[in-house]
Amino acid sequence: MKRARRVITLAAVALFVTGCTSNGAAPHDPGKVVLPGKQVAVAGKLYATKGRSLYRFSGTHVTPLLAGMKVKDPAVSADGARLAFAQLQEQRSSIVLSDRDGKSRQTITPVSGPEGALWAFAPSFSADAQQVVYLTDRGKQASSPRDLKPNDLGVWVYEAATGQSHRMVAPVGYTGGDSDPTFRPGAGDQLIYTTYLYGGVPLQPVARLTWMSTRTEANVYLSPELARDFQPAVSPDGRFLAFIHADSGRDDLYVMPLGASFSGVPRPYPTEAGVRVQSGMVSQPVWSPDGRAIAFLMLARGSFDLFVLPVTTTGTVRARSVAQPVTHGSFLDADSRLAWSA
Amino acid sequence: MNQSGVTGVPRATGPSRPQWIAISAVLVCLALIIGGLIYLLPVLSLLGNRDPALGRGVPAPAHAPPPLDSKQRINILLLGSDDDQKFQGDALLSQTMIVVSVDPAHHQVTLLSLPRDLWVDIPAHGKAKIDLAYARGGAPLARATVERVFKIPIHYYAWVGLKGLVRVVDRAGGVDVDVLHPVLDDNYPNDFSDSGYGTERVYLAAGPQHLDGRHALQYVRSRHGDLLSDFGRSIRQQQVLLALQQRTEGMDLVTALPSFARDLNGHVKTDLDLVRVTQLGLFMRGLRAADVRQAFITPYVRDSTSPDGQQILLADWPAVNRYLRQLFGGDLLP
Repeated sequence: MKRARRVITLAAVALFVTGCTSNGAAPHDPGKVVLPGKQVAVAGKLYATKGRSLYRFSGTHVTPLLAGMKVKDPAVSADGARLAFAQLQEQRSSIVLSDRDGKSRQTITPVSGPEGALWAFAPSFSADAQQVVYLTDRGKQASSPRDLKPNDLGVWVYEAATGQSHRMVAPVGYTGGDSDPTFRPGAGDQLIYTTYLYGGVPLQPVARLTWMSTRTEANVYLSPELARDFQPAVSPDGRFLAFIHADSGRDDLYVMPLGASFSGVPRPYPTEAGVRVQSGMVSQPVWSPDGRAIAFLMLARGSFDLFVLPVTTTGTVRARSVAQPVTHGSFLDADSRLAWSA
Repeated sequence: MNQSGVTGVPRATGPSRPQWIAISAVLVCLALIIGGLIYLLPVLSLLGNRDPALGRGVPAPAHAPPPLDSKQRINILLLGSDDDQKFQGDALLSQTMIVVSVDPAHHQVTLLSLPRDLWVDIPAHGKAKIDLAYARGGAPLARATVERVFKIPIHYYAWVGLKGLVRVVDRAGGVDVDVLHPVLDDNYPNDFSDSGYGTERVYLAAGPQHLDGRHALQYVRSRHGDLLSDFGRSIRQQQVLLALQQRTEGMDLVTALPSFARDLNGHVKTDLDLVRVTQLGLFMRGLRAADVRQAFITPYVRDSTSPDGQQILLADWPAVNRYLRQLFGGDLLP
């Protein structure tokens, strides 16, 4: 009798709750790229991944590439003729080069070495496509559950002329390593990337944008000590840097000017002069080839979708209009870079 | 001559209109009751799964839960541990201990993470790491330990196994998280392998992204590549909890609840009842990010070694108590 009364009470509560909730189910991945009713035409060729499959957006067309391959972090050469991407395999990955359609593929990094299985991610071409900078845990010490060793990602560069790679930046142990390496267009000897560290008391996760001279191997931080700035993207003319600044639960998109030449220790930190151009949970900014727009992934109604934001860098940096959605409810891979060519 | 041969046979008559109404009403009631039972059984089955009664020497909970219509603070001890396939019964160290404190009067929720290596006095078991409490006496002893050590009245507990977390996240359609650092772990325990003892390589890029259940578990659980070790893991656990709360904001709880319950059966133990779950669910739906306060006692602990050689954390108790008074005000136990 007591149980029956309890069930009836609970049923009444459930009915009451029914009246209070009418928002429907949480959005789920539709398993395909969905375009919005009002389609946005993409100038040039914009590359993104969804479910580790590569897609090319051009005009209002979406073209799947590299069928059957698991792909992350596409990159495109300045002339648009070459692609680079990370090919994912079972608990390992390698960097692959191809033509613009994903054909004529060439794997340029090993999937394993004496130190065990290897990761490689985030390739990025130099202006002349003769170098590809990327992340890997190559050179780590062998590790086991009884003898744990750090296996953080460092920045390496592949030289097309020799077919060899060498390390440019060694990671700080137990930080996860560095991320988002990219050459500065128009300056063949400068590299921008994110350094992951810990700072403050008590220690907290920190992400600082780092500017490096590949000629002298000197580097400086562009972000303050306790910042969380990451995913730098340099404008095609090399004058501006778009990046994500995380604070108070938000991941906003900022743009800042970058000094003309590599210099010592910039103060105040350049990111502090950044202008916010988009609020929200934003990821993976990339400039259009003409430097008049920034594409990014942003969380909207429970899904990471592709947006294009027209910007002007003449005079004051600002958005020229609101961001236009290229996809809708598509659950694109927000942990995978975008690439954009003419 | 009578042509028909039949006279005076009464015509068959059905139930009258009032009778039809009564029958319909009974059928509707039956349908409602059966429907309600079908709806509620998985939920009741889940909520009926709780740890056994108090063991010897384990104090009873300090306070009964506040009444439903009260504006008093409600504290829930959230426990998480290894996959129980590998271990006997409750012989599991709790890897996660978070006090979820719901303050209806101020429309605020506080998440307080308790470090698993904290050296404390466990009732009837003496000095040990706090994560041993759950292994020795299940949720009742974990609750009693938290009440004694931190003076926080624990009204309810909820234990979630690894698979439980994976299923909750998947049922919610995943979570959207800003991964704070790249996560690299060449020796991540693969609890989902056949033996449950294997390891696998894990990589999660840093930055905002969508995580399914398995990757959310990897994010909250990995600590080999994190200089902050258990503290880093506490930060990540709270991040995923908040992301889950935001994800479920848009869900229809009524239709989702039985599915959640079926998914979680065997992977959750709790003494929460359905009415309280419903009440808390409705409260959580109305929360904004600014209403949730994340709290850690990490600034008030230091590394040390126990007499038997374990790596432990020792607390600066006066500082911890001051911090707890800031968080809980006068709602602490005497």
